[in-house]
Amino acid sequence: MKELLRELCLIDGISGDESAVREYIIDKIRDICEYSIDPLGNLICFRKGRKTPDKKLMICAHMDEVGFIVTSIRSDGTLCFGTVGGVDASVIIGRQVCVGKNHISGVIGSTAVHNLSKDEREKAPKTDRLYIDIGAENKDNAEKYVSPGDCVYFDSEFTDLGECRVKSKAIDDRAGCAMMIQLMHEEPEYDTYFVFNVQEEIGLRGSAVSAYSVAPDFAVVLEATTAADIDGASGAKKVCELGSGPVVSFMDRSTVYDKELYRLAFDIAAEKNIPCQTKTMIAGGNDSGAIHISGKGVRTIAVSVPCRYLHSASCVIEMTDLENSYKLVKELIRRINSL
Amino acid sequence: MNLKNTVFALSEAAGAAGYEAAAAELALDMLKKYCPDAEIRSGNVVGHFGQFRDGLPSLVLDAHIDQIGMVVTYITDEGFIKVGNLGGIDRRLLPAQPVIIHGKKEINGVICSVPPHLSNDGCEVLSFDDTAIDTGLTKAELEEIVSLGDSITFDVKCRELIGERITGGALDDRCGIASILYALELLGNSPAAYNVTVIFSTQEELGERGAKIGAFEINPDIALAVDVSFAYAIGEDEKKCGYLGKGPMIGISPSLSREISDKLINTAKSSGIAYQTEVMNGLTSTNADRYSVNRAGAKACTVSIPLRNMHTPVEVIDLADVRLTGELLAAFIKEAE
Repeated sequence: MKELLRELCLIDGISGDESAVREYIIDKIRDICEYSIDPLGNLICFRKGRKTPDKKLMICAHMDEVGFIVTSIRSDGTLCFGTVGGVDASVIIGRQVCVGKNHISGVIGSTAVHNLSKDEREKAPKTDRLYIDIGAENKDNAEKYVSPGDCVYFDSEFTDLGECRVKSKAIDDRAGCAMMIQLMHEEPEYDTYFVFNVQEEIGLRGSAVSAYSVAPDFAVVLEATTAADIDGASGAKKVCELGSGPVVSFMDRSTVYDKELYRLAFDIAAEKNIPCQTKTMIAGGNDSGAIHISGKGVRTIAVSVPCRYLHSASCVIEMTDLENSYKLVKELIRRINSL
Repeated sequence: MNLKNTVFALSEAAGAAGYEAAAAELALDMLKKYCPDAEIRSGNVVGHFGQFRDGLPSLVLDAHIDQIGMVVTYITDEGFIKVGNLGGIDRRLLPAQPVIIHGKKEINGVICSVPPHLSNDGCEVLSFDDTAIDTGLTKAELEEIVSLGDSITFDVKCRELIGERITGGALDDRCGIASILYALELLGNSPAAYNVTVIFSTQEELGERGAKIGAFEINPDIALAVDVSFAYAIGEDEKKCGYLGKGPMIGISPSLSREISDKLINTAKSSGIAYQTEVMNGLTSTNADRYSVNRAGAKACTVSIPLRNMHTPVEVIDLADVRLTGELLAAFIKEAE
């Protein structure tokens, strides 16, 4: 699954521009399911199982990643940009980026530390004061290479950290996409919908319409969620931690999860000896927020891979967490169908 | 020589201040082509250029080999590496920054980034005391590879931007080294007006320490410190900056030799080399400050390559400025026909 994850993470696809990710996924699944693409770009796949269940089950993950969009070109040739999804200014400054279809290299610079006042050095930067420098001498020069509306991505490598962790951009939520692709390659017991959503990062928008179209009875959302088990954090503030298995929340900022599904996940984990954890703070949110209140309501659960530095070019996960999430989800699918 | 490839190779070599060995070995290899006697002395790369001739004034071409970085100060029970700084680092841009720890072998790491729910709305900038590196290794695993005192650099590759502009993590001052190498290439076998010594000095970022001992040993009459200076960009004070692509910035300052400043300017003019001036009102915060007061004193001047985003992993220069700097140095040194 690591190679699959690597390939997925290195594809560029901010919210609203997921086509390259979608093409890659279609290439992987075209022979094993029926699929369609809806007006927003969601990839809705129907995987025939050995049996047709009474209740419809939908598994989903989102294809989009956080990034930036060029809003205008200044007279000096630098680019103004907006963030697409929530990205903290502190993980934006001092980074290399790629701009547009031609992958023009650029950097997000800042005033040299020498020239900052003591106060300024201690204050987090503001995104609206940052700009992208592609080396253009002026606006005319820049316009030959980029245009307003061009998408901007972190220029980041997929790197091993130690024996079992990896670092990359876009692990949120290509980790979920990777699990889905792999799940689809095992013939399910029951017919299952697998949906690859767009525009999660700008407000759970793709999932709102795909959930309407599919109209499932049950939904399992595969995600990556913030782990704050970093130096200096202790107790509840860690929220969840790497190496302790999939994260199944009872509640986050957008959803109170289905209680029976929540208990089922932990029962399966205990039976199958799969490590599993819950969040120790009410934090984060995912497509469940749109799905569980879709139509007349959908019984929803989310299974997330704990991920450090979530919305940055350096997301870090532990591969065992991804593998254990996969095991848990596989069993969940089987058991939800017999509920 | 291929200027871009030279700058890329130098910028991607590791050499945090006080830990310059890898970058110095690479620079030494490059210098030997022009200064066959070049060697590493007390960390500095030193070589003599051309035939020594009695009676000529001695001139030193200096660029510093070190870059900003960090040093391992502690390994926590959870396996996080605590750090101190080597030189002036902008702490605002540290979160989630990828780094390389130079232990018994190189290992990758990411600087911990505090998520929003723990960071008081993201307004705080971490102190070095609170900065830690995540490596994916346990304390025991780390202790096999990493020792307290090992150096850390940003994990960053050079990239080409539009035109001749490039970005990299240690262009300060590896582009200065490249410009000196280019000057030597341009000079070739033509006679020099000076007995020239080249030095790529250590620990500039910690207070010009390598240049202090290098200056004492070489004892030059004239010293040119080839370093970088601020190029104008949004957020900078335009009146304190040079511009990318407009040529080397020739220093003028009470602490520098006006005679040398004027001579550099006249050389640029007579050779038709684009240049800019950089007027300072005291010390220059470059190695020139060390040469000028070495032993009985020397005539020192700065020749600076304009650079944006100084001391960040995304420094930006224009290769045209590196080339023009090399041309100016060569024209200055070449004996009049």
